[in-house]
Amino acid sequence: MPSATLLGQSLLSGVFIGALYGLLGLGLSLSWGYLRLINLAHFALAFLAAYLTYQLVDVGDWHPVAALAAIVPAFFVLGVAMQVFVHRFAIGEFASLLVTFGVTVIIESLIQWIWTADFRRLQLDHGALSWRLGPLFIPIVEAAMLLVTLALTCGTWAMLRFTYIGKAMRASAEDPDMAAAFGVDHRRLALLLSGLAAAFAGVAGAFIALIYTLFPAQIFTWVGVIFAVVILGGLGNPLGALIAGLVVGVSESLTMALTEPAWAPLVSFSLLIFVLVLRPDRI
Amino acid sequence: MARDCRHTVAGTSRSLRLALAGLALAALVLVPTWRTDAAPSGQPVRIGSTLALTGPLAATSLIHKIVGEIYVERLNKKDGLLGRPVEWVLKDDQSKADLARTLYEQLVTVDKVDLIIGPYATGGILSAMSVAQRYNKILIHHTFGIPTLAKYEMHFPAWSLGPTPEQTFPNTLFDALANSAKPPKTVAIVTSKFPSVHFMSVGARETAKKRGLQEVLWLEWEFGNRDFGPIASRVKDANPDFLWIGAIGLEGVMLLDAAKKIDYVPPGHFHLYPAPGPTAKAPEAKGALAATIFEQHPPFTNNPVAAEFVKEFNERAAKAGLPDNSVETQAAASFVAWQLLEAAVTATKSLDDKALGQWLKTNRVDTIIGRLRFDGANNYGDDLMRVKQLQDGKWVVVWPREYAAPGARLMMQ
Amino acid sequence: MHRPVKAAAFALVILALAAVPALRPPAFYESFLFLVYLWVALATSWAILSGFSGYFSFGHGAFYGAGVYTTATLASRFDVPVAWTWLAAGVAAAILGLVVGAVVFRVRRLRGELFALLTLAVTFVVATVVLNTRIDGGPGVFLAGVDAPRIYGSASGSLYVFALAIAAATLAVAWLVQYSRLGRGLFAISDDEDVAETMGVPTYRFKLAALGVSCFLAGVAGGIHAVFVGYVTVAETFSLTVPLFVVLMSVLGGARHWLGPCLGAAFIVALNYAFVGGDWAVVGRAIIGATLILVILFLPHGLVGTAVSAWRRAHPAKAAPAAGTASMPAPARSEAARQPVMLRCENVHLSFRGVRALAGVTMEVQGGEILGLVGPNGSGKSTLVNVISGYYRPQAGRVLLGDDDLLTKGGHRIASLGVARTYQIPRPFSRLTVAENVALAAMFGAARLDRISAWHESGRWLAFVGLAERHAALPSQLNLHQRKFLELARALAARPRLILLDEVLSGLTPSETAHALELIRSIRAGGATIVFIEHNMRAVLEISDRLVVLNHGEVIAEGEPRAVIREPEVVTAYLGSAHA
Repeated sequence: MPSATLLGQSLLSGVFIGALYGLLGLGLSLSWGYLRLINLAHFALAFLAAYLTYQLVDVGDWHPVAALAAIVPAFFVLGVAMQVFVHRFAIGEFASLLVTFGVTVIIESLIQWIWTADFRRLQLDHGALSWRLGPLFIPIVEAAMLLVTLALTCGTWAMLRFTYIGKAMRASAEDPDMAAAFGVDHRRLALLLSGLAAAFAGVAGAFIALIYTLFPAQIFTWVGVIFAVVILGGLGNPLGALIAGLVVGVSESLTMALTEPAWAPLVSFSLLIFVLVLRPDRI
Repeated sequence: MARDCRHTVAGTSRSLRLALAGLALAALVLVPTWRTDAAPSGQPVRIGSTLALTGPLAATSLIHKIVGEIYVERLNKKDGLLGRPVEWVLKDDQSKADLARTLYEQLVTVDKVDLIIGPYATGGILSAMSVAQRYNKILIHHTFGIPTLAKYEMHFPAWSLGPTPEQTFPNTLFDALANSAKPPKTVAIVTSKFPSVHFMSVGARETAKKRGLQEVLWLEWEFGNRDFGPIASRVKDANPDFLWIGAIGLEGVMLLDAAKKIDYVPPGHFHLYPAPGPTAKAPEAKGALAATIFEQHPPFTNNPVAAEFVKEFNERAAKAGLPDNSVETQAAASFVAWQLLEAAVTATKSLDDKALGQWLKTNRVDTIIGRLRFDGANNYGDDLMRVKQLQDGKWVVVWPREYAAPGARLMMQ
Repeated sequence: MHRPVKAAAFALVILALAAVPALRPPAFYESFLFLVYLWVALATSWAILSGFSGYFSFGHGAFYGAGVYTTATLASRFDVPVAWTWLAAGVAAAILGLVVGAVVFRVRRLRGELFALLTLAVTFVVATVVLNTRIDGGPGVFLAGVDAPRIYGSASGSLYVFALAIAAATLAVAWLVQYSRLGRGLFAISDDEDVAETMGVPTYRFKLAALGVSCFLAGVAGGIHAVFVGYVTVAETFSLTVPLFVVLMSVLGGARHWLGPCLGAAFIVALNYAFVGGDWAVVGRAIIGATLILVILFLPHGLVGTAVSAWRRAHPAKAAPAAGTASMPAPARSEAARQPVMLRCENVHLSFRGVRALAGVTMEVQGGEILGLVGPNGSGKSTLVNVISGYYRPQAGRVLLGDDDLLTKGGHRIASLGVARTYQIPRPFSRLTVAENVALAAMFGAARLDRISAWHESGRWLAFVGLAERHAALPSQLNLHQRKFLELARALAARPRLILLDEVLSGLTPSETAHALELIRSIRAGGATIVFIEHNMRAVLEISDRLVVLNHGEVIAEGEPRAVIREPEVVTAYLGSAHA
């Protein structure tokens, strides 16, 4: 029988990775839900941000927060530029999959060209510090990531729900013509949303750099699980993406704590299948 | 008016598209013609190979590419092979086994290269080996992890693991530990399910049992696992004297990192095939043990060829922007492969695969990792794997003693 | 070109390709083409379900992988002859697909992204099972000494032929499916599945059949590929490559045409191969990405989509279906006329999450009559139509058509028993032409015509409602009035005994309304029974034989129209009570 500490610690671990799933899924969910853009390049952007963070912090000796402060606005602009491109060429939902795959491959090549395909790892002086909470340990960087994720997710949710911009976005997603008739400028909203999504990718990337190891082909290893999280959470639903991320993360962690870690995907994805088949209305 | 507007927009977007298309076309035309200058004169000896230059296995590809370039340049500076210049025909198999097969067929049946040399990584090498077998070519290859799968009589492994590394290497490691100041009594074996890694971990498990070490934990995770928290917690709970991490790349560092975050440092830990550079930089990896066939310190660098190679590789790697510039298993295995090829061609004065194969099977070849032979089971000879340890931020061989760096010995925390 | 000619041309091309190894080309060409054929088979098999029906699957890797591992296991561990393992690979993949489909396709909500998610999850589950059981266990499976049966002298030549065979078979199946009932049904599902079911398309069976065929072909392709690589691992087999690339190839080529994925696959494989030079591998990869972007910018509808619309522009006039006479054709089932009771609803109850929509509706429709069904907004009229046509399943009650209890039958069975309906807001199949929309009803409704007869039949009904001129238009090119009449033509082409007309008049001008009433009368004259739901009370009174009034999900009055609307309860329902 595993100890309570083991279970508690694994639960925490699951919450943290789940939060990262949610954070990575957030931008993807927004652009898929509101812009009907299946943005594979979201992952490439996240890893580009991760490599930039690595470069600034490890080589340039910046503080991680300073790196984040530089990356977020830059990525916002990048996101806006991408949307200008998408709009200009009137790229549809499935064509977007092809175009963004092309962008992904280009960014992957760029990363490999600059940083080589070899493993990179950002070594922080205090990266492995933890707070102690009774028998449990709370790693500081992960805790910061959880807080940032919660803030961004709730902020996005509140923006969509309460502000004029958010309401306009939802209206525009449901019925563009009707929304346009009420004076909603879909194009501007799309630029804003796309910029936000890319900025979120930037934030997620910075945390990937702080916590994980970097390697260009990793761009594709996250696609499956994040797609699952985004769809499970409901397209365009920020809270849903976070909750779905936590469910997948925690169920994987607990499986790893209790049984063979290699079986972890079986548990989380079987769970997902059962939920889908038995309670499709709850999604 | 409105109509005119639309016209203009459509017009610009078309010219924009054309400009983009033009750029791409220019790239298409320019790139293939932009090649490095070939050898000066004579009918070159063409040696073909593929490497996983892109895709999921690309991490170490640049090392192999640099080594190949260094070696070919060296050959051409001397007398080439058989007095002829050497040309290396290198293709990118994109980390795909099926593409590797197709490319080797292209090298053999269309490009009609004189000799082929293997890629790295198990899947790619097996693909190349099946092609070599069909066309009776010898195949010297770099880093092939599972000797029992290599059934072809004319394959020659540069990474000399011996026919049963899953038994011999864990024995080497446990010998080293038994001779340390604090021999472990309990061991936890955790491993990635990466094929060539997993098979060694299974062997380590059996070896530990045979040697009377108590196994307190056995765990496997899927290659590509992201969350090492629960695994670290379980290792902490099991509290072993020694931790075997069947890891490739940085999985071991991620596990140690997760362990440190729950305030746990395993007393001793071994990493099978770690990425040496980033691992050396990680403070939590202090004292890590790993497997190697070559490190750039004496006695390995007593060999002048090795010393010269180390110097040249260090420079080139730095120029290419590799995170780690030192020569270790990957670069050394790659170098040895070329050494084997050169030795065989020079000795037989021939490019005939049969003659070369025959010679390699019956002779011993001096390389920078030692004397290699190919007369054992599946053409494997001795297990030349050593144990190295991360001491003061540097990897040094600590076992067997005759290969240890001067003054270095296994430290236990 | 006629179909037999096309088929012969197709067979000739395949035979010519099959003869290539006899010329003893360098093995490289065979292996390169092998990869092209492999991806043609995978992408085309994917499109049979996902491209045609719009159920985008991210799980093709699971079915391909099931094939890979079936062959690997049987051939390396049990020494089964390779050709048999390929058959087994197809069967194993098909069984996996059918099990998944049998569960998933029963759940109405699992469409679109949710279906994609589910199939993706299946891939993860299958991969984990293979990785952690004896099927693989971790070290990968090495197919030592396993070779394809020799057709030509060389191994690569023989494998080439088998890959060509599976690619050709997949293309042939896709072609046949596209122009068969199955294909028509799948295209209808892709546009509007609920309407398709109501019009008689057995959606569940069709999707399952398409998935089964698709998986079988992918499984065989996987089995052949296992022999080609010789060493299979979980990481490579179940990676994102297969599901991602089949989608990319199909989108690039055009997923709604049998030839599209084939062209997309050939293009992408060749493109990938164009940059295998060692010196510029990384730059080459970037160029691949850029090329994909450019192609989709120039050809936003895919290769085949663009080609087809170009061809259509060059040859605008496709032969119209024979117009026939504009008069009412002979009744489908004249014996149906003047049956005492055609349809009987008994005590039908239906609630949505506690909100009562139908509270014990009991009513009859007599054979040959026009029954007006009226009531205020939200009284349950459209809900009742949805129950009769099989879309909703009530919690209690019976709906009898003759002796058949409709509630025990799926929507498509109800259609084939002779019930057809129109939608208040027209729901045509948006990517089928007007004529195809109508022909589909004739194929799957009570008429059950074959493709050719259905085509001619569509001409008659389009002429009848006055849309013959617009037969080649897409529904989006019609105005509202025309779309309403298209709804009517579709319902009529099914040759139903009972037609449920849900507010066909709303939004029409007075002259259009008069024309519509004219048509409805002549439909009845042809022998069909009509339930006429309408807000336009004047029209109802003008045309109905009898009236049923619904309020709050209950029948509050029925009988002779002019008498019924004077009943106090009806007046209250419409105008509010005097005390209010």
